[in-house]
Amino acid sequence: MKNLIKKELNFYLNTPLGYLTTILFGIFANFFFVKDIFITGSASLRPFFLLLPWFLLIFIPGQAMRSFSEEKRANTIEILLSLPYQEAQIVLAKFLTNLILLIIALSLTLSLPLSLSLLTKIYLPEVLVSYLGTLLLGGSFCSLSLFFSSQTKNQVVAFLSSVVCLFFLLLLGSDFFASFIPKNLQGLLVPFSPLYHFQNFIKGILDFRSLFYFFSFTFLFLFLTVLELEKRN
Amino acid sequence: MIVLSSVSKLFGQKKAVDNISFKTKKGEIIGFLGPNGAGKTTTMRLILGYLKPTAGKILVAGFDPIEERVKVLKQVGYLPENNPLYQEMKVFEYLKFIASAKNEKNWQEIANEVGVSLVLNKKIEELSFGFKQRVGLAASLFGNPKYLILDEPTSGLDPLEQEKIRNLIKKLGQKKTVIFSTHILSEVEKVANRLIIIQNGQIVYDGKKPKEKGGVEELFKKKVKN
Repeated sequence: MKNLIKKELNFYLNTPLGYLTTILFGIFANFFFVKDIFITGSASLRPFFLLLPWFLLIFIPGQAMRSFSEEKRANTIEILLSLPYQEAQIVLAKFLTNLILLIIALSLTLSLPLSLSLLTKIYLPEVLVSYLGTLLLGGSFCSLSLFFSSQTKNQVVAFLSSVVCLFFLLLLGSDFFASFIPKNLQGLLVPFSPLYHFQNFIKGILDFRSLFYFFSFTFLFLFLTVLELEKRN
Repeated sequence: MIVLSSVSKLFGQKKAVDNISFKTKKGEIIGFLGPNGAGKTTTMRLILGYLKPTAGKILVAGFDPIEERVKVLKQVGYLPENNPLYQEMKVFEYLKFIASAKNEKNWQEIANEVGVSLVLNKKIEELSFGFKQRVGLAASLFGNPKYLILDEPTSGLDPLEQEKIRNLIKKLGQKKTVIFSTHILSEVEKVANRLIIIQNGQIVYDGKKPKEKGGVEELFKKKVKN
């Protein structure tokens, strides 16, 4: 497994693409938060965490799109599947690699809580729970993106399918969506949105239902990806 | 032993492999011959568990390649058709990756034997076709596999390189079971000790290689109808 993760990480570390997308994520995430902080005069990190799902909506499918699509296009999937690894190990290694890349990208945003803590008192547990929520949200995005990447040889198709699917899932939990649909339907649909559960975390609440939601979401798409690999048609 | 019993593989309506059966013995070098699209690559992929058979049973060293794939893959070295490689990797990175997966400690010795030690620091995408083929072949030897499945191992190589690979296969065949596919009939004549000819997914010949010079070509022409 370590060997698989090392191979996956090497690709990103050996090409400018990996650095570029991670640095761009860091720059944009910092910029879009900092540009408003002096206008609003608020030292809360909540607006920053509220922005993150929309950045991750592009960043994660962009990182994960090649995971299986490129292996299928170049037919290196035949090499990978001829090595004595279980399909689940291969999927898990690709998932963990994407998660490591997400952690690296998120570490570039640590400058925000650090600099804010110099200006004002920040409530550390809330920040930590928010980062945990971001990791769980990112993990669920990674698993869904891996699933779409396993469906096609075309990276662009994998990227667009993931973005569209995640966009609609996020939209379900947004205020914009809530203003359009009846209240009884809201109660039925909104809990399916990762945004709805993520909002608990950025309030500093560790809700068991939200933890369960993210773990089952991630597990479901990882499981579907393993099934796809096991098809062998 | 590799055993195929009444194995078929359908892609949609098309029968790529049609009810084939054969057994291998230790020390056999099996030349797998057939025209394009005959079912050679599909059969090799079925043995490896890369494809699931539509019908029939396959056993490699007593294990089912689908149900017990890890056990099977620990004993099989495989060079796929067109030799797909991770082009962005350096040769030593790729070989170390495969060696670690197959628990091969002496990977540098094998790399040396196959003749890739001089290009270890080069990126795979920068290598000539011949060197790429050697990298793929070296990787297939890692983990001391009992069975070697080589899908057109000499394809695209110049005559000198072809000769080197043939000699290597001969040497390997003394200790392992080798199944290799090729379009070059003279290659089978030089290397194999058993011949399987496949056409339209069916085995049309399975037996000893004809001893006389040009015998393989004659047999092939006789068995494979246009």
